[in-house]
Amino acid sequence: MKTSIVGLGQTEFSKNSGRSELKLAVEAILAALQDAGLEVNDVDGLVRYTWDNTSEATIVNALGIPALKYYGETEFGGVNCCGAVAQASAAIEAGLASCVVFYRALNARSGVRFGRGERVLEERDGTLLSRQPEPPGDIYSAPFGLLVPGQHHALYAQAYAGHYGLDTEQVTNMLGSIAVTQRAYANKNPRALLRDRTLSMDEYRAGRVISTPLRVFDYCLETDGAMAMVIVSRERARSLSGKAVDVLAAGQYIFPGSAPMYLYAPHTYSLAPEIVGQELFGKAGVNAADIDVAMIYDATSIMVPIALEDFGLVERGGAHDFLTSGEHGSRGSLPVNTHGGLLSEGYFHGLNTIAEGVRQLRDESFNQVSAETAFITLRGASSMVLGRA
Amino acid sequence: MTIIRPSDEFLDEPFWKNLAWGTLHLNCCDDCGASHHPPSPICPRCRSWNTGWKPASGRARLKSFTEVHHPVHSLLESAVPYVVTLVELEEGVRMVSGIPAGRKVDLRVGMALQCEVIRYDERFALPYFLPDAKLDRVTAGRSETN
Repeated sequence: MKTSIVGLGQTEFSKNSGRSELKLAVEAILAALQDAGLEVNDVDGLVRYTWDNTSEATIVNALGIPALKYYGETEFGGVNCCGAVAQASAAIEAGLASCVVFYRALNARSGVRFGRGERVLEERDGTLLSRQPEPPGDIYSAPFGLLVPGQHHALYAQAYAGHYGLDTEQVTNMLGSIAVTQRAYANKNPRALLRDRTLSMDEYRAGRVISTPLRVFDYCLETDGAMAMVIVSRERARSLSGKAVDVLAAGQYIFPGSAPMYLYAPHTYSLAPEIVGQELFGKAGVNAADIDVAMIYDATSIMVPIALEDFGLVERGGAHDFLTSGEHGSRGSLPVNTHGGLLSEGYFHGLNTIAEGVRQLRDESFNQVSAETAFITLRGASSMVLGRA
Repeated sequence: MTIIRPSDEFLDEPFWKNLAWGTLHLNCCDDCGASHHPPSPICPRCRSWNTGWKPASGRARLKSFTEVHHPVHSLLESAVPYVVTLVELEEGVRMVSGIPAGRKVDLRVGMALQCEVIRYDERFALPYFLPDAKLDRVTAGRSETN
């Protein structure tokens, strides 16, 4: 890939932004452009999730973007966080646009909440009806009470435990080490929603059970806010302010049963076939061992051990020992989610996951490690490798 | 008694009609013989349009499960805790299922299950999968899960 991320912008993360998603989007986009040393008139492409409520037309009209030559959308929300960057890159490399902004604006705490069944069910005379064509909450799952993504993650976690023969205590220790370590990262991150709340292993264990084996601290936050990033060609990036981070490879990968919620695929303890990592690292020209820092989309904590194994960052079945011995911490061999993750910084559907990878490679992280390459993934459905410019 | 169901317009479809009549049927391919779920108009394996329905053996293995404690809808507050399962049928397809309210079972990933269709009214029934001790053989060294 021959593109670079040259600007990052965001609003504060909050539980109630107190303003419209459009206003949030515009704030984030302007901040990202300023960070890049670019202007609104430079923007000729936009990429967003189909699930976003703020359309490209609204952004063009609100900001007075003179000419939008590429407007791309991607499905499944945060599942395609890295794929949105791939899409922006493809547009640039195809010559459709030269400066693409990827944005996300959502009042996910004060507005519609993804963790609620009301989103997929209709209530009528005391009965709940499903008409969803696909999970979560589709007609084949909803009658059993499988309604929201967080419950699907509990199924992944139990499948992982069952496959490797982990007992309840081992699962608790493995997942708890993620929640606790990431909270410690967040405690040093002024952007994090939970910067002022510490979390100990005892507090993690005492957290109420949401859906076995996951407890409340295994789940990501719900957040209001907006983020944006600016993507240009690598060549153009070199002429800008010097904050560029190169996209070495970015890809998307779904296969029968893997989307949207990974219920019908052949395995549930592993969420990405080996070929995904092989192709991604192959294109990036790196090995798994070369990765210095990993940002793993942690909608729940179980995503971390599964991704570490799926991409060969840790050997199969090795995640429990890796995590319980703190290798993902700031002094470990592979720091993970150094911003605190979706669990403790804020839930921005992958944009803040990507942003921390960028920040690490710009030496702007609040938990800075020595890093030349960063790896980012949402269970292999979209993945990316970034490198220092 | 479940309070979540497919909206009425879906209940005339073969999957639900067959269940209401008492048996789990799977969408299958008349050319290659494979079953697939969820139903689709074409066989995902050989891409034949000659698809139909055949009764499932009812035998399955447990791939995962979760006991839901947190109600995600106000009408589910008295339903929790309830168990959701992910099962793999002998025919090679996976299905979401559950454990009926009031039944206490010990679940272990990998265990053998048998389908039990429970009917809620003349149009609506669900395929549950319960442990089948006769078929299950505990593998030595398999750890306990929840």
